[in-house]
Amino acid sequence: MSLNRPLSPHLSIHKKVLTAVFSIFHRFTGICLSIGAILLSLWIILIALGPNYYVKFQNISSLVFFKVFLFLWTLTIFYHLYNGIRYLFWSYGKMMELNTVYRSGYAVIILSISSTILVWISI
Amino acid sequence: MKSYASKWIMQRLTAVVLIPLTFWFVYQCVVLSNYEYDQIKSFFFSKFNASLFFILIIAMLYHAKLGNETIVEDYVTSVNLKKITKLFISALTYLSMLLTAISLLYIVSS
Repeated sequence: MSLNRPLSPHLSIHKKVLTAVFSIFHRFTGICLSIGAILLSLWIILIALGPNYYVKFQNISSLVFFKVFLFLWTLTIFYHLYNGIRYLFWSYGKMMELNTVYRSGYAVIILSISSTILVWISI
Repeated sequence: MKSYASKWIMQRLTAVVLIPLTFWFVYQCVVLSNYEYDQIKSFFFSKFNASLFFILIIAMLYHAKLGNETIVEDYVTSVNLKKITKLFISALTYLSMLLTAISLLYIVSS
């Protein structure tokens, strides 16, 4: 059996339609957020270890780079959250008409961006 | 070995749990962002906050584990690499869960 065959889902051979792009982004943001979950664990471990260790986090968190990182993290969280809600409806066979799929897709983009902006103007 | 149906259900169950908790956590982060170490620590002194955070991180890590395994199943062709990657994902997930639980217990009880 040859293992060089393309595996499903065949990312490289299809025209990039909106639903496919959303799906790929859902997986990509999922992987990024997994790393985020590990970092969140590290954060709570540093808090438990005490102020001498927490300083290491504060040294990094005061950098401008870290703010950019957090901004992207916020956007990633909201995208995965709202798009995930859409997929939950799909799991029950709801909201699957083609134009609902497209409209809810655009709603995901608008909600993700506006929620991210709301968070960052509140800080 | 767990069936794929139960994994599918757990993926969605953890997703539903994470929806309200994520909003709660993002809101708390906005508040915590201006806090110093002592204030952040006192946030976790509250058993309510510590419990919600505990549920959040466990659900998040488990949801991530299931998601990453699905991605590995779909894209990793080599049987050995698939095994190793899944083992790595499991190890990282359970280690993070354990250390988070110990840390939270330590903070709450200190």
